Amino acid sequence: MKNVLIFAEHRQGKTRKITFELASEARRIADALGGTASAVVLGGGAAQLAEELRAYPLDTVYVNEDPAVDGYLLDPVVDYVESAAKAAGPSLVLIPNTLSGRDVAGRLIVRLGAGIVADVVELSVEDGAVVCVSPKLGGVLVTHCALRPGEYGVATVRPSAFAAARGGGGAAVVELERLHKTYPAAIEDDVEEGATEMALEEAPAVVAGGRGLGGPEPFETLLKPLAAALGGAVGASRAAADAGWVPYNLQIGQTGKTVTPKLYIAVGISGAIQHKVGMRASGTIVAINKDAAAPIAEFSDLLVVGDAFRIVPELTKLIEKAKGNHS
Amino acid sequence: MKIVVTVKLVPDPNAEKKIDAQTKRLVRSGVETVLNPYDEYALEAALQLKERAGGDSRVTVFSMSPEPLRETLRKALAMGADDAVLLSDSGLEGSDVWATAYASAAALRKLEFDILVVGGLTDDSSTGAVPGALAEHLGLPCVTNARKIDLTDGGLQVERETDVGYQSVRAPLPALLTTALTFGEPRYASLKGIMGAKKKSIATTTLGELALEFPVGTAGSKTDLRSFAPPPPRGQGRTVEAADGAAGAQAIFEFLQEKKLV
Repeated sequence: MKNVLIFAEHRQGKTRKITFELASEARRIADALGGTASAVVLGGGAAQLAEELRAYPLDTVYVNEDPAVDGYLLDPVVDYVESAAKAAGPSLVLIPNTLSGRDVAGRLIVRLGAGIVADVVELSVEDGAVVCVSPKLGGVLVTHCALRPGEYGVATVRPSAFAAARGGGGAAVVELERLHKTYPAAIEDDVEEGATEMALEEAPAVVAGGRGLGGPEPFETLLKPLAAALGGAVGASRAAADAGWVPYNLQIGQTGKTVTPKLYIAVGISGAIQHKVGMRASGTIVAINKDAAAPIAEFSDLLVVGDAFRIVPELTKLIEKAKGNHS
Repeated sequence: MKIVVTVKLVPDPNAEKKIDAQTKRLVRSGVETVLNPYDEYALEAALQLKERAGGDSRVTVFSMSPEPLRETLRKALAMGADDAVLLSDSGLEGSDVWATAYASAAALRKLEFDILVVGGLTDDSSTGAVPGALAEHLGLPCVTNARKIDLTDGGLQVERETDVGYQSVRAPLPALLTTALTFGEPRYASLKGIMGAKKKSIATTTLGELALEFPVGTAGSKTDLRSFAPPPPRGQGRTVEAADGAAGAQAIFEFLQEKKLV
């Protein structure tokens, strides 16, 4: 494996920050391996995103706007990523650790006879082999796992693990050969539900609420303004999701999402193990709780014992004021 | 209709896990082995499909696990599965995702089914790559994150979750499905189910019966686990008692400034 290929996931040309994080990291690893860095972009809007990717230090961007990509489940995507990987030669394929990223990765390891490391947060090259660092068991263990140097390898990468840096650029855009195939699993309807707010997994700050909030309103009136002031997103504990106060896609924890923001603020969350495994790897953890003995005290960097309903609005004001002073 | 559901046996996710400082291994004592929680949703989906298809429909549970864990599969049988097949062989030890999917696919191929339901993630390693790899090996349509599944004439109509909403998908049978956690809570085993499970069959398959072309276990794995260790410990946190809202907010604000987060 000498080269690095990234799978650029997008929706009609609109992508997330992770695509650019992967592009930047691909360059660094390709340089360490002495190979090339490329991207593959597929489906409607691919040409537009390919153009955007040219601002990043890639050598080649493989593109195909085959409408089959948006008409069927991931089968055409897997076909084209396989074509791009074979065009690039034995490569490390970097894929975002997202719902569809994981599906693509699973299919691809069989097509390419590749090893896979999931949920990677750090990459390095040691004696010609790519070594992937990834937390397991909800962060209890951190593993270092090497991919075989001579073969293909796949890593699904955690959002926000790497920094996105523009530079280099001017990548050659190469059109992959159109496949003209039909596939068994057809998409009949593709619906965006609710506001497309910042993805919880990618937010640099997460403000999460739990049972202590007592109902759905404080998520809107207390947490949302604080999250907005911090440029982050709102999350919830299982108790809040089970009570129907927020949709399940905001749930953080063992049966919900795993988040690793720079700042995690837990409001009225006791900190059951179920919740802990979904956020313990956050950079800084602040908890606001009525109960000084709540389990969250054991894994927060700062616990403020007090009334969240009074503290949060004051905190939001302080942060907004500080931001105002800077701009 | 024949439905197969794969389950993985994992250390209880609700137990606090510790790493032995000397051996750097997970302390297993006192931590029970359970069905991977995500797989219980897959099993629930399989059981509902069986109920809807009616007739002589059956649900078979499949697991690649060490032989001593076989009795853990009784829980799946108690929930309503009809029988279980265990793929167990010392030659599978050390198998990575590629080798696991390869060996499992060979064993699943022998089971013949209309629908294969797989849990979306595993609690212990969260790879999420196994369903896709199985679909690829078995040449099946791969419909993941299903929150609503309907049987249609010769196929499936599925509503599946995406990162931004949902998709309606149509796929022919046989097919592979994975379930989203919004599919619905897994059922509890009834007392009758628990009693009945004692008489249900758990068959064992070994590598010898699969005649695999490629090696599995450590030798057949395409990744090399170099080290594993607990992450660096988080420093002792502080606790501040807030007299009122302003004092609490000030304490947090100063802390965030100190950490350069605001």
